[in-house]
Order: sequence, then structure tokens, then C-alpha cells
Amino acid sequence: MNENRFASSFLVPGGLWLLALFVVPLIFLLAISFGHTDDLGEAIYGFELTNYERVFDADLIPVLLRSVGFALATVVICLLIGYPVAYYIAIYGGRWKNVLLALVVLPFFVNYLIRTYAWIAMLGDDGLVNGLFDSSIRFINTPYAVIGGLVYGFLAFMILPIFASLDNMDRSLIEAGKDLYGGPWQTFRHVTLPHSIQGVLAGSVLVFLPAVGDFVSASLLGGPEDVMVGNLIQQQFQASDNWPFGAALTVVMMAFLLIWMSLYLRSAAREARGEAV
Amino acid sequence: MRENEEQRLRRALERRIGRRDLLQNGAAMALIAGLAGCGVGNSSSGSKEETEKPIAKKIDGDLLYFNYSEYVDPKLVKGFEKKYGVRVRESYFDSMSAMTAKLRAGIAYDLIFPSGEYVQRLISGNLLRRIDRDKIRNVDTVYDYFADPWYDKGSEHSTPYGMYATGLGYRTDKVSGMTGSWRDLGNADSDDKSFMLDDYQEGIGMANLVNGYPLNEVDEAKLEKSLDYLVDLKPKLRGISTDTITNMTSGNAYIQHLWNGDIVNIRYGVDNPEDFKFQKCKEGIPVGSDNFCIPVNAKHPGTALLFIEWMLQPEHAAQNVEWIGYPMPYNGAPTEAFQGLVKDDPEINVTVEDLENGQQYENLKGEGRLAWDKVWTEFRVS
Amino acid sequence: MSTEVAPSPGAPTGTARPARTKPPKDFDRPRFLKAFVGLFFLVLFVPIVLVILFSFNSSRSLQNFEGFSLRWYQEFFESESLRDSLIASVEIALITMVVATVLGTLLAYGLVRSRTRWSNAANVMMLVPLVTPEIVAGASALLLFTQIGLELSITTIILAHITFSISYVTVVVRARLASLGREVESAAMDLGATRWQTFRLVTLPALWPAVLAAGLLVFALSFDDFVLSFFTTGESPQPLPVRIWTQIRFGVRPTINAIGTFMLVISVLSIGLALLLPRLFGRKESGLKVLLGREAA
Repeated sequence: MNENRFASSFLVPGGLWLLALFVVPLIFLLAISFGHTDDLGEAIYGFELTNYERVFDADLIPVLLRSVGFALATVVICLLIGYPVAYYIAIYGGRWKNVLLALVVLPFFVNYLIRTYAWIAMLGDDGLVNGLFDSSIRFINTPYAVIGGLVYGFLAFMILPIFASLDNMDRSLIEAGKDLYGGPWQTFRHVTLPHSIQGVLAGSVLVFLPAVGDFVSASLLGGPEDVMVGNLIQQQFQASDNWPFGAALTVVMMAFLLIWMSLYLRSAAREARGEAV
Repeated sequence: MRENEEQRLRRALERRIGRRDLLQNGAAMALIAGLAGCGVGNSSSGSKEETEKPIAKKIDGDLLYFNYSEYVDPKLVKGFEKKYGVRVRESYFDSMSAMTAKLRAGIAYDLIFPSGEYVQRLISGNLLRRIDRDKIRNVDTVYDYFADPWYDKGSEHSTPYGMYATGLGYRTDKVSGMTGSWRDLGNADSDDKSFMLDDYQEGIGMANLVNGYPLNEVDEAKLEKSLDYLVDLKPKLRGISTDTITNMTSGNAYIQHLWNGDIVNIRYGVDNPEDFKFQKCKEGIPVGSDNFCIPVNAKHPGTALLFIEWMLQPEHAAQNVEWIGYPMPYNGAPTEAFQGLVKDDPEINVTVEDLENGQQYENLKGEGRLAWDKVWTEFRVS
Repeated sequence: MSTEVAPSPGAPTGTARPARTKPPKDFDRPRFLKAFVGLFFLVLFVPIVLVILFSFNSSRSLQNFEGFSLRWYQEFFESESLRDSLIASVEIALITMVVATVLGTLLAYGLVRSRTRWSNAANVMMLVPLVTPEIVAGASALLLFTQIGLELSITTIILAHITFSISYVTVVVRARLASLGREVESAAMDLGATRWQTFRLVTLPALWPAVLAAGLLVFALSFDDFVLSFFTTGESPQPLPVRIWTQIRFGVRPTINAIGTFMLVISVLSIGLALLLPRLFGRKESGLKVLLGREAA
């Protein structure tokens, strides 16, 4: 059996699963976006474009841009914090590698809401920090708090992939790099970074894409101006009982993000081709 | 060489997606054509006969109960379980919309707690069983107002559970300049710590009242005015959030648009409860009730009926109001218990006068609801 | 311990290495990095410490610690529904973790090592779940289940969770796969291994850290998930996060801190167990090394 046939058979289980349990619901969603709601709030399928008209009528560009902006900021900060941590654990972790990794994930076993409330207890106007320094700094209900919440929630998604891609790096490679390039920075740029670029890309994707559609951080920690597209969508499904409009909003948001996705795919395709060469 | 490869790949990708799109679109078209006019719900509307079948008041299995979280004293639930030897299986929702989504999905809950307008919706869809009130002991303690409420003629399909009113919660130790008006939310001196509810109904409702319109105003021109009011209010707000209790207890909020029971629960969680007060506003008070209802596909309606009776017992309801922080509309011990609970700030209570003079959220017809939705979306993105 | 580094596993013994008599450069003594990582863990765990602290709070406040009390633990242990919810959440997360990791790893291998007519479509299809907001995922999953008449239950939650976890696994695993050269696999096959054996004994062990990382990620995702779970859950019990999140409306009870602490303790114990067990059995070799006698560069 040649490699292509062998490897492509691996696509079948996951592919079929996604097809049945993801693509099909998505089709339903797409279908509903052309519908409307009746007087009782039940969604009815139809052929109308009214929802899409509404999406483009409402001034959603700023909201979309803000969501992308928050998500990008989250990615950058996660990268700045996460890369060194992943690097340390992979290269210097030694016997403690697994323990450190477990410690990174451990906070996630405490529910996100509980942790967020702990942050509010700490950073609230009457919270610990303000009490300690006898100050009245407003941390919560700011865009910084929203990004902080996003970073805190998504950090592990950046650390783990980068760790995974750095983990098989032989120390001797770094040694050789040092001999070749001289300084630690050069070594990093020419040896370590290229080795981990796929991990960085993976982490960025896993943080960026979900962050754009997030609504929790903005609703718990944000101010009136910090509305993300996820909040608008949530509103339609959770309160306004307007699934068709919510579906249309989602389709537009996803199409918008398709551009970003294609960047990742382009790089992934290039890496796959690199293998084939 | 690389450039060509990339270009070829891109073109191949576009071709693939195009073709796949077409395939999907084809399938989608067929699906939509087949579904056009169909609703998404699974539970077809019940028939009138099914809803009118009388419920035998006896234990017919464990109770499947669907409610807001922390909206019933767990000790009372335990008491019920012990007395009747059944299990109460609890399931929670966090909004009426979420409740309806699960109901439509066909899950057979035994007891649900819709608000007034949702009771009306469910009745019109023949989705609620008839509750024979005379079978329930102590039903005569229920306020007369609820004998024939607007949302349920003759009160045949619901029994009221808790009452609520919307107003402004504020701290007397931090806020000055409260005038008894909704406008206080933007105008009173709150050190820039004012919060509004992230609730399209309450938000637009408040704006309507401030402008002197009825709570459920749907006229487009008038809604435009309400939108203007909200947009002007926005810069004066620190946040738009339904996390009312955390906002006030953490010191992030000095004034918060909230429901009366929230103040009670806030007071439980702070060192200085006497400083937290509730203001019912002169332009109008949105009031409402959450109600016991038994869905038409309930598997254990008898147990549900017994549970309603259990909660209606004066000692139990009196105990419940202290736990949930909201008043229950039953004469006698429950009313007295709540009055005692809020005796330093009787505004928190919902009296019969409030019920009669306040305004309640009604089901808006399609156009109206869409108009409200548009106003809210525009407000949020402005 | 600070400058000690685990000797490169499988470093060819017997060959003379540049003597470690050279004074360790700054690079080898990562003081700054270590401090940074220390600070990171500190900040990461501060809220956790608060959670533990407030789980013993005698008052209902989530802001002020009044005194020591076990009342929230009492409330937690006395509540049958909370216990059921917790068990359900763990069950769901475990099954999701296993199935999603398997499916996602296979998918990653297929996407990286093969090129077919379907590759591009599969790539996009794999990414779209990441872009889908959870609430939409939940609503559409609900739509699907109701339209095909599948009764909502723990099973439907698991189905939904797996569906939305596969992408995470695939993205993480393929990143690792990308940096693995094909040479080792070719070498293995030259030595007579079949493709399947090669995958099982060479590729998979090399992928293992990524698979493990992805598995942990999926578990955490699933365990913490509220929105998807709410829409796809059956009658009862609802997973724990649903219970916790629905409390926002009427005020979150400090019992959740007790639950959180309890979960933390359980996780620490499980992870500790998971880490110790292999050591107890002395299995540290990977099939790769057995096959080749050294670790792939």
C-alpha cells in the first residue's frame, strides 16, 4: 500500500464524524439563517434574506474589528507569556517536565466562572489589591480586564502546542547552534524558533479563532463599549429568541474569519508540501 | 517554481471550495425546500384534550424539575423528597429563552417556572396541563390578583410562584442625588459606578417608561426616542451587566439596575446591608411573576401537583421567601415573612398595589419584537 | 538543581562530548527565564488560592473572608444533585478526551501525510469548529438532535463535546508531526516494518507529548464547558458547569468554591497517580528506541 493511500485512510474516522455531527448541523444553521421567527418565538425555515440585510445594515464592522482586535491582543500576550514558559518546561524541565505541564493545566480543573469571580474578588474596587494598597484603581469593566480574562482563559492553549513542538528538540542542537551562531539570541532565531514555528502557529490558531467568538469575558469583565460579536450572537440565542438572525450573524462572522483561517491553511499546506519534497 | 506551486494550490483550493460549496448548496437547497414553513421544534403543539385532562393528585414517580438555579430552598426540596419518598431531579436554565429551547427539544419536564408572558405563549401552543386549583390545599391564600391574570384566563394552567419588580439598587453610603426617578441611573452622583441590566426587555422597557410611554411600546418613532435615551445614557454607565449581585458586593457598582430580590441577596453577602436600598421609580414599575406550570408531556404530573401544594403550605412558603429573597403572593405567613425580611426598606416588597399599578412585559407580536431587537442591537453596538 | 539539565536522552554513550568543563554560559543558567516562569505560576495560581481560601469562608461573601467554616463543603456533600453533576462532568470529560484524541490524532496524520482530492475540504472542515462560537455550536447541535429525533442525554453531550474537541487535537498534533522528519519512518520501513507497525511503534511514540498535551487540553475544555453542554444535556443531571453558570442569575453561592477545591484535589491526586504509575512499572523506553537503539534527532 503506498503511503498516500495508507495515510488518507486515517482521514476517514475523524472526517466522517465531523461530517455527520458538525457539517450537517451547520447546514441546518445555514438553512435557519434564511428563516424568521413566528409570534411565539419559534424559528421557522424560509427563503428570506432579511436577516442578512439586517446584519449588513447594523453597524457591525466596529464590533467585528474590536473582536478581532481583542483576539489578536490575546494571541500576542499569550505568545509573550506562553512561549518562555513552554520553552523552559521543554528545555529545562528535565524530570519535572510532566509535573510542570500538569501545573499549567491544573487551574483549568477549577471552573472558569469560579476563577473569574476570584479575579473580581482580587481586582474589584473593594477587592484585595485595592484594599492592600489603599487605592481605588478600576481594573474591572475595562477592555484590559476583558483581554486579561481572555488571556487567562486561553493561555494553556498556547503553551501546550508550543511545548509539544519544542519537546523533541535535542539539547545538542542548541549546543551546536551556540557554537555556530555565537549568542543565545542568534541561536534562538536560527535554531529554536524555526523548530517551534508550527507550534506557535498552532497555538495562535487555537487562541485566536475561539477568542473572536467569545462572549463570557466581555460580559463579566467588560464595560459598555466592550461588546464583542460573540455577545451579539449570544443575545440572539439566549434572550431575543431570534435564532435565524443569530445564525446569519454567525455565518457572516465565520465567513469573515475564513480569511484568517486560509492564512493558517496556506502555511499548513506549505509545510505538508515540504514533507513531500 | 515555488510561486507557481502556490498559485496552483490556491486555484485548486478555490476550485475545491467552489465545488464543495455547490454540493453543499445543492443539498442545503433541497433541505430548505423541504423544511420551508416548518418550525424547528420537535414537540408538536399538544392538543386541547391532552391539556385539559385532569391530573390525579398522587405520586406517580420522581419529579423532574426545571427552574432557575437557587430559586427554591433546597431544604424544602429535601423535605418533599422525604415526605413522599420520591427523588426530585433538578435541571436548570438561566433564561426563559433557554427554557423554551429545551422544552421545544421535547424533554419531558414535570414542573417548569415560566414568567407571565411565557405562560401565555405556552398556553396558546397548548403546551401546559390544566391545574385544578381546587385540588391544591391552601390555594385560597394566593392573592386574588392571580385568580384571573392577563396571561392565564381563570388561572387554569398556572399557579404563581414568586413576584419580582425592577428598579434601581443603590448604596445610601455612597450615592447622593436619588430623586425617585429612572433617570437617577445616569444623573445621580454615583462616583461613575452605575450599571444597567444587560437585558433587552428591561433596557428598552426602562427607556419607554422614562419617556412616558407604556412599557411595551412598539411604535417605531417612539422606540427611536427610547433608543436615543439609551444611547445618551451609555457614556454615563460603567457597565451593562446582569451579574448584579457580584457587581454590588464587589464594590464595582454603587447603582445597579436590578430586580428586587437581587437586593435581598446582595444584603446577605455584605457587611453593611442597611446601606443597600431598592428604589421603585415613579415613571413606572415593571413587575411580574414566575409561575408553576406543568407541561403537557410531563410524565409525572401528579407528583408535580403535590409539589405545588407542598410549596404553597404557609410555613414552607415563609421559609422559601427568606431563602430566595423574592416575595411569594400568598396571604398570611409568607407575606408576613417577607415583610419582616425587608422591614427597613419596604420598597423591596411587591404589594398588591404594585401588581395592579405596575406594568408587565407582554408578548410582542412579530413586528414589535423585531423592532425591540433592532433597538437593542443598535444600542449595544453604538 | 537550577543549572542541572537532564542528560540528553539517548545521547550516544561512549562518544566524547565537548567536555562540560567549559564555564556555563548565561544561556545555561536561565535565571531570568526561571524567575519569569516562577512569576507566571504564581499569577496563575493566585485565583486558585483564593478559591481554596473562600471555600472555607464562614460568610456568604465572595469578597471578604469572615472566618473558618466547613458549611460549603457540607452543602456540597449533602447535595445529591451536585454530586451527580460532578460525576457526570468527569465521565463526559474522560470519554471525550479519549475519543477526541484518537480521532483527532488520526485526522492529523491523515492531513499531514497524505494529499487527496479531499485534503483541502478536510482541512477547512477541521478548522471550522474552532471558529464556531459555542452558543451556535450548541444551538445547531440541538437542532440536529431534535430533527433526527435523538433523545438528549449524557450521550448527546459527549457526542457534541467530541465533535468540537477534535479540531483542537488535530491542530496540536499536526504541529508536532510537521517537525518530525520522515527519515525515521523510512528507516523503520527499510528495516522491514509495515506501515501500520511504523505508525504504531515509531510515529505514535514520537507524537506522544503532543497527544498527551492535546488530551489534557480536551479534558479541561470539556470539563469546563457550559454552553454546549446546556443545549445538549438531557433531563438530569446537568454537567457541573451548567449548574454553576446558571447560578449567576440569583447569585453565585460560595459552594462553588468548595466544589472547585474538591475538583482541584481530585485532579492533583489523579495527575500524581498518572505520573507515578509508569515510574512504578519502570517503563520509560519508547518503542522507537527499542526499534532503533537511539532517539531520533
